[in-house]
Amino acid sequence: MAESQYLAPDAKLPYCRGCGHAPVVRQLSRALARLQLPPRSVALTTDIGCVGLADSLFPFLHTVHTTHGRSTAFATGMALAEVVLEPSGLKPVVMIGDGGAMIGLLHLVHAAQLNVDVTVLLHNNFLFGMTGGQHSALTPLSFTTATTPGGNWTPPLDLVALLRAAHAGFLARQFATDTTLDAVIAEAIAYPGFALVEILELCTAYGTRWNQLTGSALKEIVARQGYQIGRLDAETARPTLRELYRRERPSRPARAAAPTADQPTALSTLAQEVRLVVAGSAGERVQSAAALFCRAALAAGLFTTQKNDNPVTQGTGFSLAEICLSPNPIEYTGMENPDVVIIASGDGLKELQANGTLARCRAETLLLVDAELDLPALQGRVLRLALRRAASPEHAALAGLAAWLALSSVLPPAAWEAALASLPPERRADPSEALQISQRLVKDLG
Amino acid sequence: MARRLCSGNRMVAEGALAAGCRFFAGYPITPASEIYEVMIRELPARGGMALSAPDEISSLCYCVGASLRGLKAMTATSGPGWALMIETLQYALMTETPVVIAVVQRLGPSTGGATQGAQGDVWLAEFATSGGYTIPVFSPSTAAECHDLTVHAFNWSERLRTPVVLLSDKEVGMTTEVVDDVLAPPSVVERAGFSGGRPFLTYGFTQPEEVPAFAAVGGEVKVAVTGSAHDQQGRLRKNAPEVIEVLRHLERKIEAHAETMALVRPDLDPGAPHLVISYGITARAARQAVAALRREGVRVSLLQPQTLFPIPRRALDGALAGVRTVFVAEENLTGQYRAVLAPRFGGKRVVGINKIGALIAPGEIIQAVHTAEA
Repeated sequence: MAESQYLAPDAKLPYCRGCGHAPVVRQLSRALARLQLPPRSVALTTDIGCVGLADSLFPFLHTVHTTHGRSTAFATGMALAEVVLEPSGLKPVVMIGDGGAMIGLLHLVHAAQLNVDVTVLLHNNFLFGMTGGQHSALTPLSFTTATTPGGNWTPPLDLVALLRAAHAGFLARQFATDTTLDAVIAEAIAYPGFALVEILELCTAYGTRWNQLTGSALKEIVARQGYQIGRLDAETARPTLRELYRRERPSRPARAAAPTADQPTALSTLAQEVRLVVAGSAGERVQSAAALFCRAALAAGLFTTQKNDNPVTQGTGFSLAEICLSPNPIEYTGMENPDVVIIASGDGLKELQANGTLARCRAETLLLVDAELDLPALQGRVLRLALRRAASPEHAALAGLAAWLALSSVLPPAAWEAALASLPPERRADPSEALQISQRLVKDLG
Repeated sequence: MARRLCSGNRMVAEGALAAGCRFFAGYPITPASEIYEVMIRELPARGGMALSAPDEISSLCYCVGASLRGLKAMTATSGPGWALMIETLQYALMTETPVVIAVVQRLGPSTGGATQGAQGDVWLAEFATSGGYTIPVFSPSTAAECHDLTVHAFNWSERLRTPVVLLSDKEVGMTTEVVDDVLAPPSVVERAGFSGGRPFLTYGFTQPEEVPAFAAVGGEVKVAVTGSAHDQQGRLRKNAPEVIEVLRHLERKIEAHAETMALVRPDLDPGAPHLVISYGITARAARQAVAALRREGVRVSLLQPQTLFPIPRRALDGALAGVRTVFVAEENLTGQYRAVLAPRFGGKRVVGINKIGALIAPGEIIQAVHTAEA
């Protein structure tokens, strides 16, 4: 395919005289011709700024003109989709400036980490051209711009070094005027993973106007910043994302995630809604006890809702579950006036005081409380049970729930059996024992 | 009927899978993380791509990129992440790219309360674009609705080539409840592809309400995507009347489908003097309150809009007919949806039932109706 299959032969380049963007556009066209890429297998993804004018110059390529800094992320999305599609050979090529590169820095970093098949042409002319020559994060020291009138005093970011740290597979740095730029761009596009070519150029509208620059200005900047030119060290041998994803993705869901359905086993006699709160300590299986309880309720043909709460740190402090049980579908799930409160530990007690649950208990509220806890004055009927001592702290919450069931008989034993059977065999013994213990505790109450 | 225990978040993920979602990018945030985790666990095994993005901006950009390539795509977040996504939401709207964003609301502003529910992002979901274009917003009140409305969200997103928000909240998303095992989801819609016979225009239409035929980036016909003001060919243009036509078309294609997109759960008592309007989690309290009021002999109607936007006007106007007092119950401070509906209320008495930091209880709705009756 001839170059005219890419860059429109009659294209009027919309750039200022001497601007580096013009040679880059031509070199890109040459690079595509070198690779003989079908035009429809290129997605030219342009950023905001003067570089963003390039898409209109390539009438045969797919073009995606994006938002500022996000071009790499949109291109990454296209390339990610390509991983799970039949390979079409699509090559997203990003054209971005130094301004866009910084606002979209994490997109570049993540694309490099993923080794997604995206090629980025970073047009570094050290400033924001389209908006009037403001400095960027890549502006050299002492460089004068609209926003560094006394010369830039923040050191420039070495983006290539940063992307090397992000394990980029292909990195290069060239001048826009290099005659070999097309070959480097072609290599970058051909590379089957993330590739970035930083192209150094000068903005003739602002860069050369405000700075005393000689013909070798770019070379001096490069020398001052200690930059290498040409192909640079990169992790070329990384596996492609397609290889990696196909190898690493789970071939079936990693956990048995889909909750299985139950036909009711033995119907509950519960006639009206009951609201329970069970509170204990993090790590003591409070919420999983509540889930098992709801599972049993489901097996008994009841409707149920479960709402959990715990501190944001998750592993410390209280753990709590609010449960509604009803023979009818449940609408409102709030817990203004709980019917049953189970307190399995001091953390749970403290939280129920703090969140106002205890204050909202009524005379008819039943509280099943671990026997070891020091209790404040409480509204309601309090039963003290040796939940922690008899059933172990880890099963105190479950024992509390089971104790209420032993008292109320709302769930037939077969429903519990069904719930237990939903657990993996190795996890059935302890809850089963906790149930027996709680029955004994209730019997001991007389 | 076999039943199982599921959270609303889980049902959003299952709805997405049922709708044919093949791409998910996410970033952790309470109370939406479960959607992200389920998709990461279950989508790859079904031949899709699910991955972790480095932030919410990237999440939505990846989704839009994948959708441009032809895959149905979704992300999930909450208020703080949604704030970051709004730039890309606008890009999806402007580039007519289908994508679904599940926003599981929590208490705001800012990081607010990560584990507290709220319905405070109604305005932020709808009025998020420069120019005020209509974003379709669906709001589920139960886990089962999470499933079906997610399918609807995908269907309308694909059919109209536009971003769609599924506006859930912490209480709907993170509460486990009983769900019928076999849900009969709405039938699945695919975006209409370009079938040739004429030159392809990325944003081509004859009538402004038409949805342009889609062609994927990477396919046979050249696609020119742009978030800048453009003509039907996707060329950046200034001062061209066609650009204004394209902008009008963006709104017109939504507006033209407003009534077919309008999903409501009405429970009307024709001739009742009271109408309670509620959506999302608060609709559950409203259902309970209305049942209790009727047991007392109070005549009251209930309307739960599941499509918040475009406003389900016909259903709303029908429910309003003959009503003297309208109650709008929602878990936010200023009555966000009430304010949006207000122009349709005419001279009726309007009572806002609002609260933050906790669920609105049925009793509060009952009391508001009693007070109005007194």
